Amino acid sequence: MKDFLYQAPESIKDAISIYQQFQSSAVIMAGATDIIIRMRDKLISPECVIDIKRIKALYGIEFSESKGLLIGACSTLNEIAENEYVKRFYPFLAQAAESVGSKQLRNRATCAGNIVNASPLADTATPLYVCGAVIEAEGSEGKREIPIDKFITFVRKVDLKPCEIVTGIRVPHIPGIEGEFFKISRRHEVDLSTVCGTVAKTGGEYRIALGAVAPTPVRLKKTEALLSGRKLTASLIAEAAELAKSEISPIDDVRASRQYRLDMSALIVRRGLERFAS
Amino acid sequence: MKYVGESLQRVDSYKKVTGSATFVSDVKLARMLYAQVKRSPYPHAKILNIDISEAVKLPGVKCVITGEDYKKRGGLYLEDRNFLAVGTAKYCGEAVAAVAAETLDIAEAAVELIKVDYEELPAVTNAIDGMKPDAPLIHPDLGSYKVIPIFFPQPGTNISHHYKLRKGDVDSAFSTADFVTEHSFFIPHIQHVPIEPHAAIALYESDGRMTVWASCQSPYAVRQALSASFDIPLNKIRVISQAVGGGFGSKAGTTLEGIVIPLAKRCQGRPVKLVYTREDEFENAYVRQGLHATIKTGIRKDGKIVALKNRFIWDGGAYTEYGVNIVKAAGYASPGPYDVDNIWTDSYCVYTNHPVGGPYRGFGMCEIHFAIEQNIDIVAKETSISEVEIRRINGLRKGGITGQGEKMIVSGYHDCLETVLKEIEYDKPCVNTSPVKLRGKGIAACWKAPSMPTDVASSAIIRMNEDGTFFLMVSAMDIGQGSDTVLTQIAAEVLDVPPENITIRTGDTDHTPYEWQTVASRTTYCAGNAVKLAAEDLKSKVIELAQIKMCAYKRELEFQNGFVVNKMHPENRVPIQTFALGLTLPDGSGVGGPAIGVGTFVVPNNMNADKYTGMGEHPVAFWTIGFNGAEVEVDTETGLIKVLKMVSCFDPGKVINPLTYQGQVEGAMVQAMGTVLWEELKLKDGHILNKNFVDYKIATAYDIPELIVKVAENAELTGPYGARGIGEPVMVPGAPAIANAVANAIGCRFTRMPITPDDVLNALKGKNKK
Repeated sequence: MKDFLYQAPESIKDAISIYQQFQSSAVIMAGATDIIIRMRDKLISPECVIDIKRIKALYGIEFSESKGLLIGACSTLNEIAENEYVKRFYPFLAQAAESVGSKQLRNRATCAGNIVNASPLADTATPLYVCGAVIEAEGSEGKREIPIDKFITFVRKVDLKPCEIVTGIRVPHIPGIEGEFFKISRRHEVDLSTVCGTVAKTGGEYRIALGAVAPTPVRLKKTEALLSGRKLTASLIAEAAELAKSEISPIDDVRASRQYRLDMSALIVRRGLERFAS
Repeated sequence: MKYVGESLQRVDSYKKVTGSATFVSDVKLARMLYAQVKRSPYPHAKILNIDISEAVKLPGVKCVITGEDYKKRGGLYLEDRNFLAVGTAKYCGEAVAAVAAETLDIAEAAVELIKVDYEELPAVTNAIDGMKPDAPLIHPDLGSYKVIPIFFPQPGTNISHHYKLRKGDVDSAFSTADFVTEHSFFIPHIQHVPIEPHAAIALYESDGRMTVWASCQSPYAVRQALSASFDIPLNKIRVISQAVGGGFGSKAGTTLEGIVIPLAKRCQGRPVKLVYTREDEFENAYVRQGLHATIKTGIRKDGKIVALKNRFIWDGGAYTEYGVNIVKAAGYASPGPYDVDNIWTDSYCVYTNHPVGGPYRGFGMCEIHFAIEQNIDIVAKETSISEVEIRRINGLRKGGITGQGEKMIVSGYHDCLETVLKEIEYDKPCVNTSPVKLRGKGIAACWKAPSMPTDVASSAIIRMNEDGTFFLMVSAMDIGQGSDTVLTQIAAEVLDVPPENITIRTGDTDHTPYEWQTVASRTTYCAGNAVKLAAEDLKSKVIELAQIKMCAYKRELEFQNGFVVNKMHPENRVPIQTFALGLTLPDGSGVGGPAIGVGTFVVPNNMNADKYTGMGEHPVAFWTIGFNGAEVEVDTETGLIKVLKMVSCFDPGKVINPLTYQGQVEGAMVQAMGTVLWEELKLKDGHILNKNFVDYKIATAYDIPELIVKVAENAELTGPYGARGIGEPVMVPGAPAIANAVANAIGCRFTRMPITPDDVLNALKGKNKK
């Protein structure tokens, strides 16, 4: 591993100023569970690593009906999975947070990091997609909010301006939303999703997002439109599951075939909807 | 018995649990240098030029070597291997140059500065293709390689060994059979994934002595291989093996030791250390060879198997110095634990441009039994005989004849079968808890013999201290299997002293006595016998002296609880330590000297089989036989398989320590489950796609099913207290038992492992179309 400068500022302002000094040769590090692997594999060789874990303002999980849920950038996945508000109002997000890696890893890894890493199979992404979460970012020009589906633009690409730092994730409060997170992986523990997804219902509307089936996590808008306001019957569910396959573009890789991912996408949609049909 | 047969706590438990055991990567020596290796990015390439000039100039670099510096080939059974590639690189990741530097970072930077010009050559990436006459030759000089004459390389081809087993007359037997059927199977490469990656340090001193610290199973075999490769006399090379963090066979041969030694030779007085990364472990240690197996079975209406014709094609990788013996072992075990009169087996070891194949727990048995035991179930189904009955009919009984023509003196086959059937409740149908999750049960048998040359030796030395405690010295290595504990128990039993009064010391070729290798499930049997003999030797010497001291005949004296006791007059007893340094007579003179016992062991009457037919009178030390049963649940919508329960029953002869036995067996079942559900080194055009734990999955604690461990003890006549080896055999039937259970659950047969969710769904789709 190449030598690098390690900086651990105590304020967002200081972090931004260090970032400005090093520009694209710096990386932001929170839990480090992705960054260290990428550095060890020489996929990135930053000159400066900016550790944001000493910035107190980036901690905490808050909830109010008006503002929804605010997850600090340094809040860990275990904190999210165990948070009472998350479990009550966003149970599928708690499920997703708890499905990442191992318990030890979740003591370090953050939800913000999971999103900024922008892997198509990020487990915490699909719950945030169905809730219309927004990413809060701060840079030298001030604060900005970016809807998550605009934030993740491609495999490992996000809409952050130079020297902008993600400070948190805001998830709107959606009264009465119900849903489930699904993860299909080769092994139950410590594995990446072969396919993951969240199927949720709010009023007569359905919200469905899938991961590991396209360059970014995807909301299935056509499938949602098909289901909108309709009574769930076995044939409608089957139709939705079939339509879902047309909204994704999975690939063959070392984990599974494209066909398996298509089948599992349909299965997640079906299993997710069946819960509401009964 | 007092100690043998008891669940003694492991003697290494405190050090392992508290983290104070010292592994090679923990060893830091003064003025130590760090090695790094330049590796080939191509599976097969001619090395045109290696330019080390820039690397040598980097400050902190002490020396850079290439294959041209040490051209001598080495190898355990077939000398086909260079530690650094010479002329051509034969697999992706093969070492072509190495650096020793003041720090690891400098060594890594220096490796980047080494420039290698290659000319890519066509690669062999499939063993079947590798056997074809027009295949690119990986070892054109095979005919000139030195080989132990029980192996038969075919110069001018990629076949490094062709093993033949020829028993009876298969052709006429097939013509008398009521059914003749043939099935093929494929078992891919996997890796051992020991928790501790390979590591080695070499120090070359001014007096010409070379000391090697290696995480290795077999310090004496490593010493021999390194001595031959680097022309160092055996009295000038010392191999030290400390705590070993799991081997499973991967640490049986020599791998990275061959890289640090030439570096150390160039850096006299400076220890050179190399520790593999996990990626190295997958690519550059050993892997389990791939296997293409075809079994043709001839069977009568009454269920008797009359003929077997087997064709095993092994993907041996770039070097097969060790792999040829796996191919041989698989060949002579090819019928499985069945009494069959007519057998024809060809087992081929084929060079490919894949990672180097080597010993893996089971030594070929896991691979062939995945085929053999599924074949039994398939044949049963095709002939409408139950898979249980076909096993009852054909399973080897006491007095039965093995594939090599040897009579079985003991056989626990039928005892183990009935126990496993009972424990898995094979006669009771599974109860499904969901219409999409289907359950099934399966069984599988196995057998295994120690795959070792017939004359390999073991020894042990035991010394009494002045206070009546002991040092037991052996070179059998505790690689996690519990040998330190079991060997201590055997000595304690003979000497009738508490095991905590005996300290076992292992793994130092300058100080602990000869042991061929810690492999082949032979340690309890071979080293155990040597320890037993050493303890008896010491006891006998002490009793000689005690005769004088106690005025009694030798036959009246015995060791009891730390005393030499007169059996006729038990009140007449003397503490054993009285004789620790010999006996002092009333006149002040001493006799006898320090109490030291020596034990040596080789398998009695173990003879080579016939070269051309494989037949023999007593070609293996013993056969270990046993069964697994499994119950699985298959999610027919996701294709995911969950193993609910596994049962093991083996015939270990005599269990020395029930707790370590249970640990061995449970670990083996979980390891077998990992191989059939997840493990595969995914190779594409000679490149490994998953040399990491992200995409190479092994079983986790979460996946462990209910595990039941049973035994059926039929003593091994030549074993210590009747014990025979079990470490590898207990893993062998797990994979086929699970595959048979899956077939029972969903009616689809998987002839390739691992059985992936993708494969399950495809099979179910195919079945529904019919």
